[in-house]
Amino acid sequence: MALLEVQHVTKQFGGLSANRDISFTVNKGELVGLIGPNGSGKTTLFNCISGLHPVSTGRILLDGEDITSLKAHDVARLGLARTFQVYVAAGDLTVIENVMVGCFMRTRSRVRARARAGEILAELNLQEVVESLVSELPVAAQKRVTMATALGSDPKLLLLDEVAAGLNPSEIEDIMKNIRHIHNDLGITVMLIEHVMELVMKVSNRVMVLDYGRKIADGDPESIARDRNVIKAYLGERFVREHEEALV
Amino acid sequence: METLRNALDFSDFPRLDLLIAGLVAVFLLVFPLFPHSAFAMATMIQFLMFSLYGMGWNTIGGYGGQVDLGKAQYVGIGAYTTAVLLIRWDIPFWFSMPLGMCFAIIWSFIIGYPLFRLKGHYFAIATIATSLVLMDLFEVWDFVGAARGLEISPIKYHPPDWWRLIFKEDVYYYYVILAFFLLGIFYVNWFRKSRLGYQLRSIKDNEDVAGSLGINVHWAKIKTYAIATAFVSMVGSFHACYIKNIEPEDTMSLDISILIALMAMLGGAGSLWGPILGAAVLIPLKSYLKEWLGATAGLAGIDLILYAIIIMAISAIEPRGIWGIVEKIRRRKKR
Amino acid sequence: MDILASSLVAGLLIGMILALVALGLTIIFGVMNIVNFAHGEFLMIGMYTGLLTAQATGIDPLLTLPVAAVVGFLLGIICYYGFIKFLMRGPMVAQLLGTFGLMLFLRNMALLIFGSEDRAIHTGVLVGKSFDMGMGVIIPATKLAAAGRSVAAFIGIWLLMNRTKIGKALTATALNAQGARYMGIPTERMNALAWGIGGASVTIAGALLVNFWSVNPFVGLLFTMIAFAIVALGGFGSIPGAFFAGLVVGMITEIPGIWDFFSYTFNSDWMLDFPMTSFKYTGVYLAYFIIVVLRPRGLFGWKH
Repeated sequence: MALLEVQHVTKQFGGLSANRDISFTVNKGELVGLIGPNGSGKTTLFNCISGLHPVSTGRILLDGEDITSLKAHDVARLGLARTFQVYVAAGDLTVIENVMVGCFMRTRSRVRARARAGEILAELNLQEVVESLVSELPVAAQKRVTMATALGSDPKLLLLDEVAAGLNPSEIEDIMKNIRHIHNDLGITVMLIEHVMELVMKVSNRVMVLDYGRKIADGDPESIARDRNVIKAYLGERFVREHEEALV
Repeated sequence: METLRNALDFSDFPRLDLLIAGLVAVFLLVFPLFPHSAFAMATMIQFLMFSLYGMGWNTIGGYGGQVDLGKAQYVGIGAYTTAVLLIRWDIPFWFSMPLGMCFAIIWSFIIGYPLFRLKGHYFAIATIATSLVLMDLFEVWDFVGAARGLEISPIKYHPPDWWRLIFKEDVYYYYVILAFFLLGIFYVNWFRKSRLGYQLRSIKDNEDVAGSLGINVHWAKIKTYAIATAFVSMVGSFHACYIKNIEPEDTMSLDISILIALMAMLGGAGSLWGPILGAAVLIPLKSYLKEWLGATAGLAGIDLILYAIIIMAISAIEPRGIWGIVEKIRRRKKR
Repeated sequence: MDILASSLVAGLLIGMILALVALGLTIIFGVMNIVNFAHGEFLMIGMYTGLLTAQATGIDPLLTLPVAAVVGFLLGIICYYGFIKFLMRGPMVAQLLGTFGLMLFLRNMALLIFGSEDRAIHTGVLVGKSFDMGMGVIIPATKLAAAGRSVAAFIGIWLLMNRTKIGKALTATALNAQGARYMGIPTERMNALAWGIGGASVTIAGALLVNFWSVNPFVGLLFTMIAFAIVALGGFGSIPGAFFAGLVVGMITEIPGIWDFFSYTFNSDWMLDFPMTSFKYTGVYLAYFIIVVLRPRGLFGWKH
């Protein structure tokens, strides 16, 4: 069942086309990875979907509802949550206060927000640092806090933007566990932008590839890894020609 | 009820703070019982009034991070509503004050909607512009006495008049404003723990992220602004009954707007105690400077020069205000 | 009909001078992104400078401009190195309140030194003379000369900003401070220079203004607000924008005259009774509000 439908979305900034005619569907329960070289338009696509930017042309449907022209906060209320690439959580709030902001979308009561926030933080193994200031935590923990905050609103669809950026291998392991837990046990549909290939390939059911604003591939991780166009996008035309035989 | 509990629960403050706050509260309660000059009493009343103005400003300016330099127009709305209603139709304070707050809220929604599309400097200057426009309007509007202003003559009434808030001795006014002051503190305590309070902190931190968490940023700012204006209008109504003589230049000038913002900034915008600290420092300072220096002929304006230097010093050296310094020291001690 | 014509002409003339007043503000904002509340106070100082120089030396008031320029330049640089520099480290609230403190400081220093009475210039070659432009429009010669010199000063500063090496360095810093720094342009000095030039242009305007507008320590605020409105309309950072916006705002201040014209034409009582003169500057504030909400970039602005 389609949870997210993106239909022929184009996003232009003045003369620059950041997203060109992108169409795809994400079904309920999937974990979709979104990869592509730098500047291929991945974050822009997220921004269009989450309502931060208006699209130039195209339609976006969430659970059957047209969210194309909705503002970010309305999209969020319909069940879409996201994290941001550059942003880390509010520095001078405590961890639980951060997550409470997310929970307040669903309740007016501070008591209930706090309780729910506590539950979510436990799900992500952050119960130890609940009262710490976010600014005092290491980067990996801060990223997990942003994930927890996004989960505060009990979303149907979670968009993660490069949560593994800058983490060392053991931290990547931890966050992979968190993502698997969110997807498998909490039953949330996930779409994630990543540059850390081992993470994407290991957790995703399906991977989409963008290059220069266009979708150039969409399939399971193994076939994507061998896809000619994908390799060309990352390693260049010449590499592909020189290694013609190795690629099927 | 959870709301009540939120308002009365101060347990997330360090014990030392609560102890000091308690002592100050006791002091404020018993102050009039000790021998004091009329000047000191007047200063204390001013202190309480400006603490409240500052607390109101703080909701949108401190927690919300939007620098509003046009609060004086709401002082005017409150003051004039009460004065006009009393003089023309003998309507007592306890009816005119809420009515004034309603007018303030209505006006704040009207200008708030376009105002909050602006950010930063543009926003600040626009708030000044609206306040000046309103002041100019009051200067020529005969219904409110134009530039001459309005005067409430106590002889017409029989003080102590609790309905109309007309008293002969300042002591009565003191306890009334003290009651408002304590209510104000409970209200702000509730506010910072409320959903809107949390939303504001998120907005102040990063508006895009706030939006992605389902917060309607524009609307949250407008709501908070309305709250702030209601606060200010409430005290403005009190001002009319206390000072009994109001004119646009005194009640609605830019100087008043800046003074209100200054209270909160000097004390520490974004904290509960900040505006109170700011008022505690600035109001006595301003009053006593004026008494000692301002009256001296040939030295006109020197009190304001010192006052200006203090503003400049704080802005340049410790923009987070007194409370910012306190928090810095505390953080260092923790390590 | 003459009311209309003379209002429009008066509006244009005052507009040219107001444009010069706003010029300093837009340069400082363009380079440093700080809004200077004390801007009107600089103007006030320029006015006193012009007045006193003329009175002390007996030379024609309109020739006091170089003195005013030097005073303004030094004032700007001293303010920058002595105060503004430190203000920039803090949040915007602190900056706004800081420049407001500066405004109070300068205003009350002037009060202390000069006293609160109005002062005006009564001597000079052109006082009392006027030009008759036909259609019943009579312009005092002082105003005309002041407006003319304003335009000249404006063009001079525009040339400075666009044709000289230093001006270009300043513009570069305005557009992209970090980039300019990588090219070897010292940001600190550019900031100070912006304040110097900004200060000089507004004190020159003051020295011109005092020829037909009396000065007292309190004139500053009104002109600060007018300057803000002009800069917002023209676009923060745009010099030609400041000029055209200045003319427009100048005409807005002449609305009472235009209003009178229409009230006579329509022979309408309520229009005649309406105290439009009291709202002379209210129109400016309203204009600011409307512009900034509807078109934040202003007419020509590139900076947001």
